[in-house]
Amino acid sequence: FVHPNFIADPFPITEKRPEENLDWVLKTGPNPPYLVILESPLFTRPIMMKLKNGSSRVAGVAVVAPNANPPKGFSPHTTCPNENTGVYTEEYDPAFAHCNVTMWNPLGNGLSYEEYDFPIFSMKDDNDTQIIRQCYLDHNRAVNGSTPQYPLCAMQLYSHMSAVTDTATCMRRNDINFSISPEMVCDPLGDYNVWASTRPINNTAKGHKMFESVVIAAARLDSRSFFFDIAPGAESGVSGFVTLLAAAQALRNATQEAQPNRTILYTFFQGETFDYIGSSRMVYDMQSNQFAVDLDNVHSVLEIGQVGLRADSKLWLHSDPVSMKNSSVNNEVRKLIVNLQTASRGLNVSVEEPGFSQPLPPSSFQRFLRARPIPGVVIEDHQSAFTNRFYESMYDNAEYLNVSYPTNMTPEEQLEFVTETAKVLIVSLNFLLSRSVLFSLCKVTRMLYGFLVRTNNSWFQQLIPSDLASHLGKLGHTFLKISEPTLLVQYLLANLTGSTPNITQDNCQNQREDEEDKESKHFYYYMWVQGAAPPNSTQREGYCVRSTVRLSKALSPAFDLRDYTSTNFSTWTESRWKSIKGRIFLVASHDLEMLTLGVGVGVLITSLILTYVISSKADMLFSAGREPANATY
Amino acid sequence: MNLERLPNEEKLSLCRKYYLAGFAFLPFLWLVNVVWFFREAFFKPTYTEQLQIKAYVKRSALGLLLWVAVLTTWITIFQHFRAEWGEVGDYLSFTIPLGIP
Repeated sequence: FVHPNFIADPFPITEKRPEENLDWVLKTGPNPPYLVILESPLFTRPIMMKLKNGSSRVAGVAVVAPNANPPKGFSPHTTCPNENTGVYTEEYDPAFAHCNVTMWNPLGNGLSYEEYDFPIFSMKDDNDTQIIRQCYLDHNRAVNGSTPQYPLCAMQLYSHMSAVTDTATCMRRNDINFSISPEMVCDPLGDYNVWASTRPINNTAKGHKMFESVVIAAARLDSRSFFFDIAPGAESGVSGFVTLLAAAQALRNATQEAQPNRTILYTFFQGETFDYIGSSRMVYDMQSNQFAVDLDNVHSVLEIGQVGLRADSKLWLHSDPVSMKNSSVNNEVRKLIVNLQTASRGLNVSVEEPGFSQPLPPSSFQRFLRARPIPGVVIEDHQSAFTNRFYESMYDNAEYLNVSYPTNMTPEEQLEFVTETAKVLIVSLNFLLSRSVLFSLCKVTRMLYGFLVRTNNSWFQQLIPSDLASHLGKLGHTFLKISEPTLLVQYLLANLTGSTPNITQDNCQNQREDEEDKESKHFYYYMWVQGAAPPNSTQREGYCVRSTVRLSKALSPAFDLRDYTSTNFSTWTESRWKSIKGRIFLVASHDLEMLTLGVGVGVLITSLILTYVISSKADMLFSAGREPANATY
Repeated sequence: MNLERLPNEEKLSLCRKYYLAGFAFLPFLWLVNVVWFFREAFFKPTYTEQLQIKAYVKRSALGLLLWVAVLTTWITIFQHFRAEWGEVGDYLSFTIPLGIP
């Protein structure tokens, strides 16, 4: 939440003498407030804390984002992600609370969770940034210790935020309907979870389903970074859900012949970064009979976490030691782990347990455990602390996962190029399914391309309805509406696990097979997608996709319960803002401005006096050669 | 309205009306009374009604001063402490500024 409209001089902090330059900004510089241009190696916690504490002299910070990832790690998230909303509280087991055993994100510097009184922007290192640097070098640099002379280069960063203080205050101000034009100042963070089942489940009849025992296969959809709208989340999010999507497709092919005796429920949770919004909502819905199944129907949970970087070709199976004290839970988990380990023999990956009593890493499964002890396993590529050095930062991108393509490839070629990462994920996939099944390597590679490099590609275009086609890749950040990753995963999952019945577009969009069908809409969801154009025409041939894919609302229960200071559920909201922009210009000295004002005022007063004098002596001045004064008017 | 053209009784009644109306939480009427009738009450040659007018003007001025004092104190306190009063402050406000606590 930041204050708008400060004009200040830019002051690049160079690598050479950062301490001296910081002192200039914070203590000795003669023309505060200053706007700091920070090169990315200096974007660290100590420097940002100093700037935050001296914020009366700091008008803003512009960080120059590098073109390549930094060699050391950088994670603006906390060291113990979601520590208060997971399952490890003081009551559950004090030995495991607050990451006592394992600090999951050791490189975390917590910058994203500090409050700053000035805007912080990130700029790409390109021509515009070079102009800014040049402006500083031309006008603002102190020569031989003397202070720089006016006119100086100034920069203004505008990012006005409407909400202040905390969620309880801003939600209260949203609700006040006393004034003429009530203004919404903030919105709760929320989106939709995507879920599907291998066997159709009646979605209209909520609550417990008799004789239904499901295994939840979960993954996380979202990620964040310090800056708005750059949250690639390649290792933290994309690797997990792409693996699960590919597994869903492979299982569909396998289950054509033989149905597994347990239904698998694929769930993709949104909002997990912000205190488990999606999974806490799903568990809450299950507990209050608002979901198609309830917690008694859940047999176990298998979650795919961060699986993109695999040092030593190992995958680790994490389980919760506290719930495993219960013998039945223990038995189920043991069976699951044995299955997974058996399946991995003979493949290129080894699958192990961490080997010591360790709590679960931050995962959606923790919210299920908060409700009741359920057997479950979380698959990760790290034994204890994260191998991800850029957790929840803007550097967790395609480059980090080595999703790279040879240069000079067209987008079409890149779509089909099988990267190393895809192969890695497929191996993870292979052991996950307890039998060898056909998998589609090209699908995984296309998904990685679509989510990490370029969303607007030909394959994604075929899977979505026509009204979304022009917006692909451009859907902005929205609240309480469906975001682009959610939509894409929804259509992808439908394409990969559904079927294509031969029904008309009208029937398809009305959720029925034919005119008399009233039952299918409870079990299936029908989507009309635009498809591909056949080779000798430009008109796309749409078709209907029937699947069990549904969306479920992912809004924290705290907002339905109106408990804005809840410690059980996520209470994150996002402030509304006006347009975000910045500009640089040359600014004149204060003395010159005052002189201009003074001259203007002087001219005004002089002209007033002159007018008064002339008007009072008008008859004398203008009477020569005129009619005598007895003319009437 | 030009007071020159009014007879003295009407001047007195006008002054009295403004004085009495100001008690309905309308201190501006007292301000008008003071400014308008100041010259009449203190700088014109004496006439019978002038004593009454003088009294009304003095009392209006007193009331005005009291109002100014009360309002200034309340406005200062409110502007300073509204943010700290939390919920109470919000419910007392008609428009709440955006972007600052």
